[in-house]
Amino acid sequence: MKTLTFASIGPAEIAAARADNPRAFGDPRRRALVIGSWAAILGYLLFSFWLFEFGKLFQASDNALRMLTRMVVWQDMDTWMYDQIYVGIAQTIAMAFLGTLLATVLALFVAFAAARNTMPLWLPRQATRRVLDVLRGVDQVIWGLVFVRAVGLGPLAGVLAIFVSDTGTLAKLYSEAIENIDRKQVEGVEATGADGVRTIRYGILPQILPVFISLSLYSFESSTRSATILGLVGAGGVGMVIIERFRAGLFDQVAFVVLNVLVVIAVIDFVSGKIRQRFIGERGH
Amino acid sequence: MSTHALTSSSAVGPEAPDAVALFERHRAALIRQKMWTNLLFVALFLAMLAWSIDVSRFFPERLAQGIPRIFEYFGTILPNLEWDKLFLPRGEDGRAVPGSLTFWYSDLGKYVTLIFETILMAITATILGAAAAFALCFVAARNLAPRGWAGVLARRTLEFCRGVPEILYALVLVFAVGIGPLAGVLAIAIHTAGALGKLFAEVNENASMRPVDGIRSVGGTWVEEMRYGILPQVLPNFASYTLLRFEINVRASSIVGFVGAGGIGQELNHVISFYSDDRVLAVLILVVLTVTCIDLISERVRHAFIGRENLS
Amino acid sequence: MLEFQQLTKRFNNTVAVDSVTLAIPKGQMVGIIGRSGAGKSTLLRMINRLADPSGGALLHEGRDVARLEGKALRAWRSDCAMVFQQFNLVGRLNVITNVMTGRLHEHGLVSAMLQLFTARERAFAIRALDRLGMAHTALQQTDTLSGGQMQRVAIARALVQEPKILLADEPIASLDPLNAKVVMDALRAINTEDGLTVVCNLHTLDTARAYCDRIIGMQAGRVVFDGAAHELTDQAAREIYGAEAGEAFQEGLTSTALGGHSPASAEGARGAPQPVRAAVG
Repeated sequence: MKTLTFASIGPAEIAAARADNPRAFGDPRRRALVIGSWAAILGYLLFSFWLFEFGKLFQASDNALRMLTRMVVWQDMDTWMYDQIYVGIAQTIAMAFLGTLLATVLALFVAFAAARNTMPLWLPRQATRRVLDVLRGVDQVIWGLVFVRAVGLGPLAGVLAIFVSDTGTLAKLYSEAIENIDRKQVEGVEATGADGVRTIRYGILPQILPVFISLSLYSFESSTRSATILGLVGAGGVGMVIIERFRAGLFDQVAFVVLNVLVVIAVIDFVSGKIRQRFIGERGH
Repeated sequence: MSTHALTSSSAVGPEAPDAVALFERHRAALIRQKMWTNLLFVALFLAMLAWSIDVSRFFPERLAQGIPRIFEYFGTILPNLEWDKLFLPRGEDGRAVPGSLTFWYSDLGKYVTLIFETILMAITATILGAAAAFALCFVAARNLAPRGWAGVLARRTLEFCRGVPEILYALVLVFAVGIGPLAGVLAIAIHTAGALGKLFAEVNENASMRPVDGIRSVGGTWVEEMRYGILPQVLPNFASYTLLRFEINVRASSIVGFVGAGGIGQELNHVISFYSDDRVLAVLILVVLTVTCIDLISERVRHAFIGRENLS
Repeated sequence: MLEFQQLTKRFNNTVAVDSVTLAIPKGQMVGIIGRSGAGKSTLLRMINRLADPSGGALLHEGRDVARLEGKALRAWRSDCAMVFQQFNLVGRLNVITNVMTGRLHEHGLVSAMLQLFTARERAFAIRALDRLGMAHTALQQTDTLSGGQMQRVAIARALVQEPKILLADEPIASLDPLNAKVVMDALRAINTEDGLTVVCNLHTLDTARAYCDRIIGMQAGRVVFDGAAHELTDQAAREIYGAEAGEAFQEGLTSTALGGHSPASAEGARGAPQPVRAAVG
């Protein structure tokens, strides 16, 4: 066999190789499909740019520029009414805490009715699940708007909005945790002659309790984040401060508040992560 | 029973009483040690609860006032449907009969157009956001960043993008580019870039570095290392995360309208704020249906996609 | 005396255990061998009723336990402890609480819910653990233990049940040879010292031969061999194991090499699975 060099490969060689391994030279239909999909995506983007009038982006008004400048250049910082800002932030955290706590309590009961292994009957289980789907399907801000209309402006509407939408999320996650327990551990307790209640207490509860606590803490974190914007529709908390000052054109103060909120959220994430670690422990399974 | 209980283990060696005593000592120490932390946790929890109730003014009398109003309100947004008239079409004068579905949904055409716009907004924002995330994720991955400072810069940028909620971006952008879906698309795209960029970077960090070394050993550049060493490993995960994000973005684009950034949210806000009749429920039902349908479809696609990728 | 009379278990169309008739006298150590899917596990699970028999009877001291329900069933389970292949311990509870779950059947409801056990129960559990050399782990969380340690905790849990019969479903299949020996030695000691009946599913032939008074071979749900360990010829073993013979003989080899309980010399069995042992004949 003579030595092969790249330069020695001519058209004849290529043709022979192609005849031997046609698939190694690319499937034209597949290539057409790939090119076609990229063209479709690009075409769609161009269409949507036209539809959403992306041109407006390049003729953004002086307003926009002025706003951006105001956001970076902070003026008259001694007149910013900080107490109002921090009361707003505190209120947001309190709303998230209460909402999540109430949701946890309700979800504890509902979850057992939505899990396959604790609720063998089809109808009540499916009914529970569909109700939970609706609670989750409506966004928290929409719930906020609805509750503002129902009970008026203020944090009560926010707590209720978080409560309702977190119940939907938590009950679903809890029921999944219940469905995912290790049957073997339950069986081990059963095999000692323990009855139903004792089996739940020693076989199921130790498995799900840390998961539940961790899920609730996680939900508290995400609720603090989403509770910020509940205020935009009037449901209390720091969002109300943001929108009031935004409407008044105080963009520097808005930027300041948002930065503060980001810091607070980062701190809460950190603390709740630590607590979660404590409950879950260091084991990775 | 009780005497037998102890005799059955009496076969233990002479050090047995020692073992029990030793255990009881350890146990007492452990209980003492745990008690203080547990007490601290309970106290902290109760303090937090009391403070929360106080700050958010979640008092029983306010609750007692508010709760009946909730049911009252939900009563007013229920449609007034009558069985015998349910499926009656519009009359000859073009008016729908009160009590029929057509009366309840007389603005259906407008709603459908807006829902269509909402979905298009979500698609465009997802594509733009995913593209930006893709562009940044290799630099932002700790194991892949070509320069240390570039990685830090990329990570901080992504953090800022996802830290601020969509609707806040929308609020600002409506002011900048005017009322309409453009502000919403941009707002969601920025947030998506941050959220997806972080996920993509995490996928990259979990990828095997061996293929990268392989490409480097044949003399590839950084871009080639990424393209041939990392991309084939991570692409299925990227696709799956992007579809998941699309589901989230449909929800987001249905609410950015609250601040005037287009989509069905604008109508929803209008209807909830100005009327309290059956139109509220009409729009709400459509929104929930849309979100649920998109979730179901996208889940199917995701499974099909991952399944195919795993096969090949 | 535990008597099986035509005991049968069907799952839909397949028969897992097919009219098994046996009698196990008190205090015997019985090894059930057979390839996977032969019905060993189902048979064992039917004894303490984690699986319900489809037909036949199971008599313990003359009483049919195959049809027990409710309180009587739970009492029977607590009389007839089970040790599992995967230990089936509650990972998030500490070791001693896991052992004390063996006392749940005797325990009052309220104190059980509050996890309040008496000092006597703790002492009993500690002694059971100490007997297996595990007392020092009593306050550890169970999922921090190794497999061999978990299986010893599981045996301690079985002991505090003060059972009349100890069932072990592949107790060493998930363990390394050294731990397998420790666990089998413990089971044997319980059998000889406490006079407990021990019924043990084993996948490997040599372990069964080394530790059991009596071996029962199962194939496709039926008992195809029943006799003393030395009566089990190589030929009979091959029939029981069928296609898995190689594996069963090989695995036996490793545990024997470390175990030293078996009369077989590791040297003679090494190499090919052909001449399993010189002692057989």
